[in-house]
Amino acid sequence: MFGEQQRFMLFLIAPAALLMLLFQVLPIVIGANASFRDWALYNPKKTWIGFSHYYAVITDPAFLYVVLPNTFLFMVLSVAGALVAGLSLALLLNRPFRGQKLVQTVLLVPLMVAPVVAAIMIRWIFNDQFGIVNAVLEAIGLEGQPWLVQRWSAFGIILLTDIWLWTPWFTLLLLAGLQSLPKEPFEAAAIDGTTTWRVFRFLTLPMLRPVIVVCVVIRAIDAFRTFDIVWTLTGGGPGRSTELFSLYAYVHAFLNLDLGRGSAAAIIGGLIILVIGVVLYRLVDRIAKA
Amino acid sequence: MPMVSRPDFLPDLPPWSRKTLFALALAAICFAFAFPVLWLILTSLRPESGVYYVHRGTEFTFGNFAEVLRDDRIVEAFINSALIATLATVFSLLVTVSSGYMLSRFTGPASRIWFGTIYVFRCVPYISWVLPLYFVTQSWGIYDTYTGILLPHVAVHICFFSWLMKGFFDGIDPSMEYAAMIDGCTRWGAFVRVAVPSAIPAISALAVLCWLFTWNEFLFALILTGNRVPMITVVMAQFVTEMGLRWNLMAATAVMALVPAFLIALFGQKYVIRGLRI
Repeated sequence: MFGEQQRFMLFLIAPAALLMLLFQVLPIVIGANASFRDWALYNPKKTWIGFSHYYAVITDPAFLYVVLPNTFLFMVLSVAGALVAGLSLALLLNRPFRGQKLVQTVLLVPLMVAPVVAAIMIRWIFNDQFGIVNAVLEAIGLEGQPWLVQRWSAFGIILLTDIWLWTPWFTLLLLAGLQSLPKEPFEAAAIDGTTTWRVFRFLTLPMLRPVIVVCVVIRAIDAFRTFDIVWTLTGGGPGRSTELFSLYAYVHAFLNLDLGRGSAAAIIGGLIILVIGVVLYRLVDRIAKA
Repeated sequence: MPMVSRPDFLPDLPPWSRKTLFALALAAICFAFAFPVLWLILTSLRPESGVYYVHRGTEFTFGNFAEVLRDDRIVEAFINSALIATLATVFSLLVTVSSGYMLSRFTGPASRIWFGTIYVFRCVPYISWVLPLYFVTQSWGIYDTYTGILLPHVAVHICFFSWLMKGFFDGIDPSMEYAAMIDGCTRWGAFVRVAVPSAIPAISALAVLCWLFTWNEFLFALILTGNRVPMITVVMAQFVTEMGLRWNLMAATAVMALVPAFLIALFGQKYVIRGLRI
């Protein structure tokens, strides 16, 4: 029924497809099913209740006015922050100098640090009683802050941790991109005496755009589902003011023990990011072709 | 490349001051990226009495590490994490190298559909499938076992790594494989004996990344394991709430969790940098 080539293609992807079917597709189907049922972990009646979980989630003020804005704000700011920092570092490192290897190795450090470990470190550094940040502030005569129990400072610290973790990733990929650019346009610009800013604006940036766009897309999709650093740094607190979408679904499923509602939240979030993902993919495609 | 690599942001300054500024900037950057880790290491070396004033005092001790290692649960968690990370790396590579090869070497609807599937599942947030996976693994009897945490980890890497692998194979000229097939090699022979060996640098880069991702992963371990298979990231996160004031022990555990990742990354650094450049 299949030709020899088709059989070969099928065998190449069969193990991957089977694993994805069992551990991704099937759970998503089961989760979708659970989201339509009254499925509390302490009393799983499993009766069909239609869209009421979805209705409960999208009318929940905590979801609408805290979780969703937090998630989008976090996604935009963390990607933008890491992109700007990563691009500046890549431009700075894109020249031979003594000790380049050392700097590159130091830059790799955050890439090896588990997000949970990073969160523990930052939590310790910003500890309100014994943290070094408050110690330094008090030493220079300023007042120490209870960083992690105020909404916006806690949110800022989560953001900072994420940018610290991901800037090196941008730097490495953008540096690789910079080094693979053709040299002739830059030489021509140098002969014409073009200013540095104009070289960056009209040569480097446009030529680097495909790499930048791919990095941004991958990171934006990952930033949307951030869980571990928020969980370890604030647990969503103070109150629920720093909850992101993944945390919201987790809290409903495993702390409030309402699997139906948690699944509904997970599916709503999944649909949102899928739309974003498709739009971004179109964008990448257009830029790659242009 | 002399011309390309000199974006002069401070063109009007004399060369020596530009050099100094550059060096200062580099030092500041290195400090910003290394400081949290250095501070963690310093904290882990402080005795219980000195931990609240890490910046003062001069007593240092390795006692925290000894105390942490006396805790069976932590030792068990380290062993489990290392084992799962290693096994997940092996299985992920077996699965994704062939899938990436298929994406790279064949065009047509089958290849396009597979690529689309991979892209869509790459976007799906982990929580959307790991949350129900809690029930799936329970009903299959693999919740809180090695299999139950290993296979989801292999599954999660399929999308991203197939994608990366496709890129790597795209950069390798297929004519060698055609030549091998003309000489009587089967398709499998061309894949296993010709394509895979020439992709070894890329495969090494993926192995390093895969090991690090699995070792550092938290959400899967949190949802899919319980008391029988403790994983190091979860044990550490529990630490924060359970022994919130014993920062010296927590720092010691975190430092020990960093060590294997550092070793792997240092040995694999050149592969990763070379691999990412393709």
